[in-house]
Amino acid sequence: MSKFDGTKGYVASPELMDAVNISIALQKPLLVKGEPGTGKTMLAQSVADALGKKLIIWNIKSTTKAQDGLYMYDTIQRLYDGQFGEGGVDDIAHYIKLGKLGEAFESDEQVVLLIDEIDKADLEFPNDLLWELDQMEFYINETKRTVKAKTRPIVIITSNAEKELPDAFLRRCIFHYIEFPGKELMTEIVKVHFPDVEENLLNEAMDVFYQIRDIRDIRKKPSTSELIDWINALQIGGIPYGQIKAKLPFIGVVVKKDEDMELATHQNF
Amino acid sequence: MFLNFFESLRKHGINVTLGEWLDLMNALNSGLIGGSLSRFYYGAKMILVKSETDFDKYDEAFDECFKAAQSNPEVGAEMLRWLDKSDMMQLAEMEAKDHLNKMEGEGIIIDKDDVEQKFKQRLKDQDSEHNGGSFWIGTMGKTSFGNTGGNIGGVRVGGMTGYQSAFAVMGARKYRDFRDDRVMTNRQFQLAFRRLRQFSSRLDTNERELDIDKTVDETCNQGGVLKIEMRKPRKNSVKLLLLMDSGGTMIPYSSLLNELFQSVNKSNHYKEVKCYYFHNCIYSHVYKTPECENGDWVETNWLFRNTDKDYKVIIVGDAAMAPEEFYSDTGNYRGPNDGLSGEEWLKSLKRHYKKVVWLNPKMAPGAAPWREIETVLKQMFPMYKLSVSGLDKAMSKLMENR
Repeated sequence: MSKFDGTKGYVASPELMDAVNISIALQKPLLVKGEPGTGKTMLAQSVADALGKKLIIWNIKSTTKAQDGLYMYDTIQRLYDGQFGEGGVDDIAHYIKLGKLGEAFESDEQVVLLIDEIDKADLEFPNDLLWELDQMEFYINETKRTVKAKTRPIVIITSNAEKELPDAFLRRCIFHYIEFPGKELMTEIVKVHFPDVEENLLNEAMDVFYQIRDIRDIRKKPSTSELIDWINALQIGGIPYGQIKAKLPFIGVVVKKDEDMELATHQNF
Repeated sequence: MFLNFFESLRKHGINVTLGEWLDLMNALNSGLIGGSLSRFYYGAKMILVKSETDFDKYDEAFDECFKAAQSNPEVGAEMLRWLDKSDMMQLAEMEAKDHLNKMEGEGIIIDKDDVEQKFKQRLKDQDSEHNGGSFWIGTMGKTSFGNTGGNIGGVRVGGMTGYQSAFAVMGARKYRDFRDDRVMTNRQFQLAFRRLRQFSSRLDTNERELDIDKTVDETCNQGGVLKIEMRKPRKNSVKLLLLMDSGGTMIPYSSLLNELFQSVNKSNHYKEVKCYYFHNCIYSHVYKTPECENGDWVETNWLFRNTDKDYKVIIVGDAAMAPEEFYSDTGNYRGPNDGLSGEEWLKSLKRHYKKVVWLNPKMAPGAAPWREIETVLKQMFPMYKLSVSGLDKAMSKLMENR
């Protein structure tokens, strides 16, 4: 069986690797939660890369309906074609367009399906997908056809915990909470992005970063991706060693709110 | 297999279903999560627990079941009986905190191995019950061993509640902050406030919204001749009055109250929102700003006259004030009270509005007779802790039809 153990571009904790492998083995969707910027979306990409499979991304927005992921019946196109006498109007199948979920089911090879930020959608959204994710099939009313997965896709679902997900849905998932990385893991992650980052610069930047995160009243905690951007900026800016703590150059990359900015600049680093 | 673990999880409030349990067995059988206790810990967690808010409960349950496998100090039943002093917990917790502060001040570093070594040694030597001492294993003491003690870095032996023991992963309780009964911040407020909805179409407006269903029905009835049907817009008819304690003992919660205020203000779907402040208790005036400056206020009676009984009232405050102030009829130092005590003012508020709830950021979990005013107010108003679950309950209380 194919087994995920991280990729060169993505540092995964052993627990996360276990979680991926368990969800593949038990054929259940993996629900990944965690602070923004902890690499939830990247995980799917890296699983796909590591296993050499195609990645299909279904981005959820506040207006997304479960039906959108299955299929869409393009009635308007059919009406047009009917009026202008184009060919194929009799064949409804011609106007059925599969959504991302349908695409994943129809694929000949096993794919990795990422349902990104499922909590963005309506409260009922996850419930509407219960059967489809359980049985990996759905029925197209218009053409009386059942679309059934040829091979069960590996499903990874991410959530930012903006809305509570329904229990019935949760019961069917394997759950993993990506913790915010500690200093050691963070060093590793940064080095994946910048292999020859200067040791002093990295240490200094990390000290500041974690101290900002620990400020008690901070409104928005800076995330991994912001740290990476910041280190990039510091490198490009050529900030000399010892200046970071004193001057906090480009701090706007890490701190995004007025109130937080005030707190950060009044810290003793 | 591990049926006691299953029971323990459910006892700690994690509703593991049979399906999930079978999944775990399946994973165990296929060798996915076996091998070591910590792999089992993580594996079982991701299959059985579906929210980080439950991680802390899981840790507790896990620790309860697998404690023996963790360190296995041989503790006899006799010794556990000496250590069972759960009723003294409250007191000891305060003591523990003091002690912790002191330790930090003195810069004492606790070494796990060292403590364990000494524990085993002392276990061998001890032959009777010891409480409050500083050497033997017992309760309420200052040694590194035993329970309800003041030494944070020690080894805890038995005991039901509390829990400040192990250095191990399961004992660290690093998910404590995720529990949904904790005090909260940010947008969870807004989500909770969405519960406050009461749609009503009995508004004094014209019929100015297209009723699609009815239009289709009517048009079909007429054999395809278009007939447009209009209706009144449905609007949330909830009116909200927010009264917040400000200053003094509430200062530590100022950012929390700020969040609460922001989220109420952002939720523009209420028919009306009014927000006033008070200090400690509501007297003859309520203030327009959190600074509670004299003069920048409205009379409480004016407020009663201008807000009808249908306003849903949320009072936020820690209900921590001296009984002398609460029952005094000569006013507090922040302003006059028209000869009525705080108790009288609150009673008239309760009489005026149909729905009032009290949110308290530091409410005692159970009966707390030593917090005199909190106890009195709890009887007067439904009081909830200002936490995710508390706010949810409070909102449902406000929406109750009775």
